[in-house]
Amino acid sequence: MTSSASSTGVPAALLVGALGVLSGCGAGAGGPNISAHVIRVGAALASEQVLARTLDDAPRSLDPSLMTDVPAQHIADDLFEGLTTLDVAGRTVAGVASSWESSADGKSWVFHLRPDARWSNGAPVTAGDFVYAWRREVDPRTGAQYAQGLAPLQNALAIASGKAPPATLGAEALDAHTLTVHLVGPTPYLLELLAQNYLYPEYAPTVERYHDGWTQPEHMVGNGAFVLREHIIGSRITLEKNRYYWDAAHVHLQRVVYYVAPDRSVAATRFLAGAVQWTDSYAANQRAWLISQLGSQVVDSPYFGTYMLAFNVELAPFKGNRALREALVLALDREPLVHYLRFGMYQPAYTLMPPLPNYQQPVPQWADWSDGARHALAVRLYHEAGYSATHPLRIDIDTSIQGSDERHFFEAVAASWHSLLGAQVHVDEREFKVLIQDRVLGKLPLFYASWIGDYPDPNTFMQLFHTGNGNNNGGYSNPAFDRLLDEAGEQADNAQRYRLFEQAERLLNQDAAYVPLYYYATRHLVKPYVRGWQSNITDRNLSRYMYLLEHQGS
Amino acid sequence: MARYLLRRLLGAIPTLLVIATIAFLLLHAAPGGPFDSEKRMLPEIQRAIEARYHLNEPLWRQYVRYLSDLAHGDLGPSFQYRGVSVNQIIAQGLPVDATVGLSALALALLAGGAIGVNAALHRGTRLDYVPMAAAVLGISLPVFVIAPLLILIFAVDLHWLPAGDWVAGSPRHLLLPAVALALPYTAYVARMMRASTLEVLHSPFMRTAHAKGLPPRLILWRHALRPTLTPLISFLGPAIVGLVTGSIVVETVFGLPGIGRYFVTAALNRDYTLVMGITVLYGMLIILFNLLADLCYAWVDPRVRLH
Repeated sequence: MTSSASSTGVPAALLVGALGVLSGCGAGAGGPNISAHVIRVGAALASEQVLARTLDDAPRSLDPSLMTDVPAQHIADDLFEGLTTLDVAGRTVAGVASSWESSADGKSWVFHLRPDARWSNGAPVTAGDFVYAWRREVDPRTGAQYAQGLAPLQNALAIASGKAPPATLGAEALDAHTLTVHLVGPTPYLLELLAQNYLYPEYAPTVERYHDGWTQPEHMVGNGAFVLREHIIGSRITLEKNRYYWDAAHVHLQRVVYYVAPDRSVAATRFLAGAVQWTDSYAANQRAWLISQLGSQVVDSPYFGTYMLAFNVELAPFKGNRALREALVLALDREPLVHYLRFGMYQPAYTLMPPLPNYQQPVPQWADWSDGARHALAVRLYHEAGYSATHPLRIDIDTSIQGSDERHFFEAVAASWHSLLGAQVHVDEREFKVLIQDRVLGKLPLFYASWIGDYPDPNTFMQLFHTGNGNNNGGYSNPAFDRLLDEAGEQADNAQRYRLFEQAERLLNQDAAYVPLYYYATRHLVKPYVRGWQSNITDRNLSRYMYLLEHQGS
Repeated sequence: MARYLLRRLLGAIPTLLVIATIAFLLLHAAPGGPFDSEKRMLPEIQRAIEARYHLNEPLWRQYVRYLSDLAHGDLGPSFQYRGVSVNQIIAQGLPVDATVGLSALALALLAGGAIGVNAALHRGTRLDYVPMAAAVLGISLPVFVIAPLLILIFAVDLHWLPAGDWVAGSPRHLLLPAVALALPYTAYVARMMRASTLEVLHSPFMRTAHAKGLPPRLILWRHALRPTLTPLISFLGPAIVGLVTGSIVVETVFGLPGIGRYFVTAALNRDYTLVMGITVLYGMLIILFNLLADLCYAWVDPRVRLH
């Protein structure tokens, strides 16, 4: 998923400021005020199982083939289920498929679908429903922006490029409950991929009959734990328990209401008022105050994303100037920068890949050096690159309008480069759409480029720097790096693959291809009586597992 | 009268055409397109999407297509929300804004009118200074301060009213947004009513009324009130349009499903049709309410003749 810094930047920035000021007043004088929000939680299930959650933005589509934003993904996770799905801790587990086997070369897989899987109209979920949805996804006529997500499947890219018919996709239904999948190469992360929305099944009769309108509540047929009851665009989405869901016996929630709250301080206010029990996130600058008010109801945990600046290595002054790029990477004191300007919420980043189990992040040696040694090298490299006090680097950091916190952060980065190196750095904010376009057109030498992994595997990050990749806006190209990635693509053994990715990432760091800043964190406000969920790096928390305990106070 | 109305309404067509044309050109001139995202798509898919929304056609043809659809009342599909038409979005959102806006207007007129007239009648006393100082405060405090403050007090602390959300027909959900929206307008109305009441009270026809020995209450209600409304009407014409098309701040803070926020978000997302749709709607409402204001002038001031 792409990060959602886009659509509502202006009002959000405006409001966060105002609420921040107001709420700050409350906290200042009285000190910690957790007692005001104490909730006594019992052991039994609450009699009413209705959960209200917030979404950070309005989903643009509820069609699993077409959705591109994180909020839509949250809804899709409740309305649909793939061959695999996620457990309460975000780990990949069996979904509609109850078992599977793969060929020795890892290129062919057979999935056995559970016979009791049903659509919300009672019809059985069949292998053909997956084939239908996947062909629809890669068919260019559908206009699915995430069609490339199916790239590991045979012919997917050819079909999406209009060079082969959709029927040639490497997926076939052997019978109603057996599905074979043919892959381009071994794809050890296939099971993770199958739990993504763009690989969910779709009920052909409804899609064909209503076309774009099939996602409206009166038409939609899904196979998830919940069904869509109401969708007020930009405001509210109501789901009800799907009685045909194969595991309905273990679904406690009768209803889930998602409120769209693009302004995060609004989400927090609703939470404080007891109108919602779970928020998608909260405003970073309210963190200290919220913790003082809510204590352990503020829940942060690592998220699979990295906030960074990218160099365009095809543009002056960074073209062929590794010394300058490295000087800028080295010059930043990430710990204080992230701690003070991001409110202690995030971890400073030294690599492209955020922490992932079993992956050894190739943290550069200088990360452990003293500030003095690191600064000295940065200054030396800056001079080597041909810059000095009389001939300083003059450069813009191009970023999108995200809010005052983000602006302050980049201004601090600019100030760091100025104070240590003497560089003249200016922060230039532009509209998100304009930034994207300028980035793609290769106009910007140094720009904001955060990334959130689509699935928990290094591949989703590494591809960003592969020669010719559509998202490689900085024009980085290193044949050795590409070879390692291609080799990893042929490797069936995950441990081996990870080693190859680690080597590749080391090259990236040596080439100083980007400026790592910090790893993202998920941040939720959750009532203590909401159970059946755990923080996880992909930040997907299915309502299917959640339940409410008896409680007093809200 | 009928001819006057007809002429005014026909005259609106070229105005709307100019609005639509300028909006269309400005939107297409803005850098970045509706389907640009951080993630690049395959060219074939990009082409398919552009063809679907006719973005691959020459601009003049897109323009002609838009105008012809517009003439049939079709505002086109939203680019931002797949499978939803702009007509649907407006049909879903406008009633919410109109309900909140008209409630706020009623509040502002009643409260502001009472405060203003009362202040004028008691000029120079506490009944003048205190409410009018409050009115200055009301104008100075932006809605993005008032609205969260109301929520903090009435929803978070007192738990009297919901912190947001919209339930059609529920006065509990209507109250806070309507009050938040009404407060600045109340202040304007109060100040305006005070000034115009003072002016009217000192005009010659008032002196005549007093000289005839009419009771003060009758003078106020029958003779003074109507002429005091003239400046208010000039203000309300455009103000009502702003009220019923929603305030982005009130909608965001209270989570109302109105259309006000699209004035900003649709533009940022380059949702061409949605921006066009609400711009044209706004233009139509402005024209309509200005016409109504002109009709009202004739009612409050017999010297005004409609030609």
